[in-house]
Amino acid sequence: MKNPYQPIEAIIEDIILETPNIKTFVLRPKEYIEFQTGQFVEFGLAGVGEAPFTPSSNPNVKEKIELTIMKVGRLTNKLHILEKGTIATLRGPYGKGYPLDEFKGKDILIVGGGVGLAPLRSLIYALLAHPQDYKNIIIRYGARTPQDLLYKKEILAWSNFKNVNLVTTVDTADNSWKGNVGVVTTILKDLPLNIKNAVAIVCGPPIMMKFTTLKLLELRFSPESIYLSMERNMSCGLGKCGHCRIGKYYVCRDGPVFRYEEIMNIADIWG
Amino acid sequence: MERLFFPKERLFDFFNFVNEEYCLYLPVRIEGRQIVCDYNFNLPSADYILKKYSLLKKEDFEFNPYRTIEPLKSFLNYPKEIVCEYFSKELTIQDKKIAIFGVKNCDLFSLKIQDFVFLQGDYTDPLYKKRRENLFIISSDCLSFKEVCFCLAYDINPYPESGFDLNFSSLDEGFLVEVGSDKAKALLEKKGFLFEKIPSRLNTELLSKRENITTQLKEHIKSHALPKKEVLKEIINKGYNSKLWQEEMFNCVECGGCNFICDTCHCFLLSESGSETVFKKIRSWDSCQYANFAKEAGGANPLNTRAKRLRNRFLKKFDFFIDNLGLPACCGCGRCIETCPAKIDIRKILKSLYEESLSAN
Ligand SMILES: Cc1cc2nc3c(=O)[nH]c(=O)nc-3n(C[C@H](O)[C@H](O)[C@H](O)COP(=O)(O)OP(=O)(O)OC[C@H]3O[C@@H](n4cnc5c(N)ncnc54)[C@H](O)[C@@H]3O)c2cc1C
Ligand code: SF4
Ligand code: SF4
Ligand code: FES
Repeated sequence: MKNPYQPIEAIIEDIILETPNIKTFVLRPKEYIEFQTGQFVEFGLAGVGEAPFTPSSNPNVKEKIELTIMKVGRLTNKLHILEKGTIATLRGPYGKGYPLDEFKGKDILIVGGGVGLAPLRSLIYALLAHPQDYKNIIIRYGARTPQDLLYKKEILAWSNFKNVNLVTTVDTADNSWKGNVGVVTTILKDLPLNIKNAVAIVCGPPIMMKFTTLKLLELRFSPESIYLSMERNMSCGLGKCGHCRIGKYYVCRDGPVFRYEEIMNIADIWG
Repeated sequence: MERLFFPKERLFDFFNFVNEEYCLYLPVRIEGRQIVCDYNFNLPSADYILKKYSLLKKEDFEFNPYRTIEPLKSFLNYPKEIVCEYFSKELTIQDKKIAIFGVKNCDLFSLKIQDFVFLQGDYTDPLYKKRRENLFIISSDCLSFKEVCFCLAYDINPYPESGFDLNFSSLDEGFLVEVGSDKAKALLEKKGFLFEKIPSRLNTELLSKRENITTQLKEHIKSHALPKKEVLKEIINKGYNSKLWQEEMFNCVECGGCNFICDTCHCFLLSESGSETVFKKIRSWDSCQYANFAKEAGGANPLNTRAKRLRNRFLKKFDFFIDNLGLPACCGCGRCIETCPAKIDIRKILKSLYEESLSAN
C-alpha cells in the first residue's frame, strides 16, 4: 500500500529571485507529479519540515514544477538560503483545483495580491493555453511597492494577448512608478466584462480577499461566481490531521479553492 | 447473531487460547479518586487500565464494570510514532495481532469516528489500517457506570450490539457470549467451543440486566439535563457568540488532556527527524487547545484565544462531524471530564448551550 506521508525527491534546478523576499524554485521531481491548476503540494526539506505551496507553473508541463515562495518564517527562511542542485521533498498534489470547465465561455476576472499571484500565474498559463475558450481575461494585480511586483516579464507577455486586459497597482509608489497607486480594490472599476456571465478568481492575503470579495459583491458578482483561495494552517494535506478546518470543510481536502457561496455563512472565515 | 454460554471457570481457558493467537490485553483494577455524587447515587470510584495478559497474575484481572482509563484509539495510533522513512527506506509496519478484553460500547462508537478519519476519504493511513485489521475486539456489557458516564444521552447504550468480534455479557452463572465476526466464530470453533441453543432463562436474564443498567444510567444523567443528539448541531451554532466560552475557558491551562484522552479526538501534527541518510516523519497527537494549533505563516491565528479554541473543540465534535459523518464526535465516555485540571465539564457546557438556545427562542 502506498504510504501517503512519503515524499519524493525533487531537485531544485533553478532559483529565480522575483522580489527581495520572494523566490521561484524550479523543481524536477523524481517522478512526474501531475497537478491541476489550483491544487497544492507539500514542499520542504528532509529533516526540516514541509509546508503547503500552490504551483505557479503551467500545469501542462509535466517534468517540472515551479513554486513561488515568500520568506515568512522557519521553513521558508531555510528555503531561501538554498542553492541550485539541492534535493528537496515533495508530496501531492492535494485538494481541488480551479474548475476550468465552469469558466469556459465566460469573462474571467483574476484578482491577485502579493504572493497570491503565484497560483494565479498557473491558472493564467492554463487559460492562455486555450484563450479562445474564454471571453475577456481581466487581470488586476496589486503589490506593496513596485519592487514587490512578481513576474514582470510574464505580465508583459500576457498583456499582448488579444483578450487579456491587465492592470497593476502598488500601495506605495517610488519615483520610477508610472502606474496606479492604491490597494487592489481601487482598480476594480470600469471592468470590461458582463457581470451576468463572468467569474472572479481571487487570491491574496486574507484582508485583501475580504475587501476584494466585498467589492465584487458590490459590483453585483453573485456569491457563486466568486472563487477564493483559502489559507489555513496545514500539517498533513491529506484530510486527516484536523488542522485546516473551516466549518464543515477541510481546506486541504475540499479546497483550497472555494466558491464564496460555499463558505459565506461560516463565521470568521477571514481568519 | 450467534450466542454461546461460557461458564465462569472457562474464562481463563479462553484467555489462554486467545493469547496464543493474539497479544491479549486485560483490564486491571486501580484505585481511583473518590467520586462525590450529589444525587444520592452510590457510584464506584475504581478505575481500570489495560495490561498485557502475559505479564499478569491471574488474580490481577477483574471484569471491568465500565470503560477503562485509556481510550481505544491509543491501540491504533500511538501518541508519537514514525509514519514514514525516506527516501530510500520503506516503512516497516509491525504485524502485531492484539486482542482487547473489556472494550465498552462508548469505545465502539468512537471507533466509527476514528475509522472514518483514518480509513475513509482519498487517503488511507497505512499504520491505522494494519492495526485495525489486526485488532480483535472483545467487548462487554457495562455492569455499572462512573459519575462522568453519559453515553445514553446520545442514545448509545451501555451494552454493545455491533462492532465487536465477541461480546461478553456477565450473568449470574457465567457469560453469554455473542459472536460478531467470522474471524471470532472461526477462532471459537477451532478451539472446540460449541454453539448450543441458549436456555431461554439466560436470554431473559440478559434482557433484564440490560434494562436495569439502562434505567439506572438514565436516572443518573437526567440530573444533567443534557440535550438530545438531534439538537447538538443547532445549539452549538446558535451558541457561537455565547459568553459561556469565555467563562468556561478561564481556568484552562492548555494541557491538551481533554483531547489526548478523548476517544474520538484524532488531530495530529507531523514533524521531522533523521540524519544524512534516512529521514523520518513523526506523527504526534495534537491538541486544538494549544495556542499554536491554527497559527498560520506570518503569525495570523484564527484560534488565537482560549475561548475560541474551546469553541473549536465543540464545533469540531458537534458541527463538523455531524455534517461529515452524521454522528457527533463524542461518545459520552466522560474521560475529558475526569482529566481536566480546570474542571471543565462537557456536560455542563452542552446543558448551558441548550438552555441558552431555549431562552433565545
Ligand atoms: C493551500 C496553501 C497554498 C499556499 N501557497 C503558497 C505559495 O504558493 N507561496 C507562498 O509563499 N506561500 C504559500 N502558502 C503559505 C505557506 O504555506 C506558508 O508561507 C508556509 O507554511 C510558511 O512556513 P514557515 O515555516 O516559513 O512559516 P512559520 O510562520 O514559521 O510557520 C508556519 C506554520 O508552521 C508552524 N511552525 C513554526 N515552527 C514550527 C516548528 N518548529 N515545528 C512545527 N511547526 C512549526 C507555525 O506554528 C505555523 O503554523 C500556502 C498556504 C496554503 C495553505
Ligand atoms: S469529548 Fe469527552 S466525553 Fe466525549 S468522547 Fe471525548 S473524552 Fe469522551
Ligand atoms: S483538559 Fe482542561 S485544562 Fe487541559 S486543555 Fe482541556 S480544557 Fe484546558
Ligand atoms: S492539513 Fe491535515 S486535515 Fe487538512
